[in-house]
Amino acid sequence: MTPLRKALDKTEPLFHKGGKLERLYPVYEALDTFLYTPGQVTRGPSHVRDGMDLKRMMSLVIVSLLPAIYMAMWNTGYQANLALVEQAQAGVFVTDPSGEKGMLPEELRAKLGTDEGISVEDAQPLAHQVGWRGRILDATTGIDPDSFLSNLLHGTLWFLPVYLVTMVAGGTCEAIFSIVRGHEINEGFLVTGMLFPLTLPPTIPLWETALGIMFGVVLGKEVFGGTGRNFLNPALTARAFLYFAYPGEISGDKVWNAANAVPTVADGYTSATTLNTMNAPGATLDAIHVTWWDAFLGTIEGSMGETSVLGAIIGAAILIAVGVGSWRIMAACVIGLVGTSGILYAAALAGYSANAMWLMPPWWHLVVGGFAFGAVWMATDPVSASMTRTGMWWYGILIGFMTILIRAVNPAFPEGIMLAILFGNVFAPLIDYFVVQANIKRRLARNVA
Amino acid sequence: MEDLLRLFLRSVFVENLALAFFLGMCTFLAVSKNVKTALGLGIAVIVIQTITVPANNLIFQHVLKQGALGWLDGEEPATNESQAAQARAEEGDTIAPQEQSTPAGVTAGGQAGSTESGRFRFADLDLTFLGLISYIGVIAAMVQILEMTLDRYFPPLYNALGIFLPLITVNCAILGGTLFMVERNYDFTSSVVYGVGSGTGWALAIVALAGIREKLKYSDVPDGLKGLGITFITAGLMSLAFLSFSGV
Repeated sequence: MTPLRKALDKTEPLFHKGGKLERLYPVYEALDTFLYTPGQVTRGPSHVRDGMDLKRMMSLVIVSLLPAIYMAMWNTGYQANLALVEQAQAGVFVTDPSGEKGMLPEELRAKLGTDEGISVEDAQPLAHQVGWRGRILDATTGIDPDSFLSNLLHGTLWFLPVYLVTMVAGGTCEAIFSIVRGHEINEGFLVTGMLFPLTLPPTIPLWETALGIMFGVVLGKEVFGGTGRNFLNPALTARAFLYFAYPGEISGDKVWNAANAVPTVADGYTSATTLNTMNAPGATLDAIHVTWWDAFLGTIEGSMGETSVLGAIIGAAILIAVGVGSWRIMAACVIGLVGTSGILYAAALAGYSANAMWLMPPWWHLVVGGFAFGAVWMATDPVSASMTRTGMWWYGILIGFMTILIRAVNPAFPEGIMLAILFGNVFAPLIDYFVVQANIKRRLARNVA
Repeated sequence: MEDLLRLFLRSVFVENLALAFFLGMCTFLAVSKNVKTALGLGIAVIVIQTITVPANNLIFQHVLKQGALGWLDGEEPATNESQAAQARAEEGDTIAPQEQSTPAGVTAGGQAGSTESGRFRFADLDLTFLGLISYIGVIAAMVQILEMTLDRYFPPLYNALGIFLPLITVNCAILGGTLFMVERNYDFTSSVVYGVGSGTGWALAIVALAGIREKLKYSDVPDGLKGLGITFITAGLMSLAFLSFSGV
């Protein structure tokens, strides 16, 4: 027995009934089962069951999220480094992390207006991030989009604080509810707490992160009794709350790149996502400034974890292989999205199009925005999705359909996957109800006849 | 045609009576415990709304509105003022009836007094102050007829809806639909579409809420929130999801 196990066993009686720290039992239980397996075993007659318990399920979701987490760290840094160096080439940069506007040296200023321009090598030392992140970067790797380490460190410096704030703020709410209501802290929060930061732009203020996750955990989940009893996905509830309460920090074309934290850079640099660009009035397909492969691999600007479709496919493969995520829902989402955007695209080719979004072919709709991330990790949430097999198809198709509807028909929002999934969540129980009723009717007819 | 389709979608989703305007809350919260009853009530609301909004539209456009009774004046040549008032009333646009009638009525009446020694004319008549009572009367009559029909042909549904069927009479969603129609000065076709659409939107919302509440039976809601409390929170979260349509 390891010392850790011994220490846990030694303190355990304190948390049992009559112990000094009885009320804090959920906290102890969470720590114990997080480190070891749950102690419950089947007593009495055997039940039909598989090897899946809640803990294994939630841990596997976290494992499947690794590609998205990796992209959140690396790509966030890569995009920021790229933008900072690019802006330094244009003569816009800060002298040091304090944020003072920098002046170009004489010899570079002479180059600025010429055809030759300032080379990447010359510009790179000039680029700085501001604040404490800037100090850490200056002391270690510097700003260099070609360096793997620099990208990873820069991205991590943005992603990690958001993640930690989410875990602390959301975890506190979760723990308070568990202690007061006497249920155990559930691994479900690990997933919610991982998904939520991945859907946020890098520059999100930390206090808003805390507020959002508290809303999601308390009103999206805990008031209904905790994991498995809610009807909306808590992570998306949190994001939707921020989206409507503080639209300035989570939409628009100034938030998607961490380089926008540098005030002088933000003035001249827009970090519009592809969908932002296409949603602008008068946009055409030429306005897309990334290639399809960039969008597929995820080296584009966007919410931290959503950009990589490849990552989502890897995650989907893991989820399906271990039997956690429903392939039916994922497939149905894709069918709904491709079908709807295909119809609009055909209409646009035939000469009838309301805006540039209609001209976007289905294969582009698949790779831009958060669709892949949402379809793989959010729509498949087993609690808020439809539970019947037929229902899953309808539910997924509804989500794909609504995504395109919001993207292409509603001029107010460039991206639709978040609201589409929430909309699907609202109708999921109803879809199940009608599927079950149809089944009852069918079997009645069969047996009576 | 496209305008009508747009109007329909707007009234179902964007301006959903239950989830965007929070109208008809009493029945919305009380009769949403199971899908079957909610579906019945939803259909009843669609039927009532489809009949009452166009019916009230006829009453508004042809009886109550300023100048609507002008034809009763007979052959007498209309004065410039009353023609102008009538034309304005018919064009209508989106001006609320009170706003457009008051100044027109005052000027027409005043000038008529000076030129024609204050003869009474139907064209000057503005009966919109009778609006509320007429609309409610129509709604009450319709609900009564529907109730008798249900009692005769669908007794299980009649019993399930219970007191809430007569209560549709004073359901603010129903009256709200009519008042929105008046305020926006819909013509007859639009009012039919709007009646169907707004009723469908409300029915969709209550059926979805019922589905969720059936699922929430297995939830472990804190004591203080049990019943209506959690239903209010649920309705709020649903309207968050319905925000996807705002801005269409």
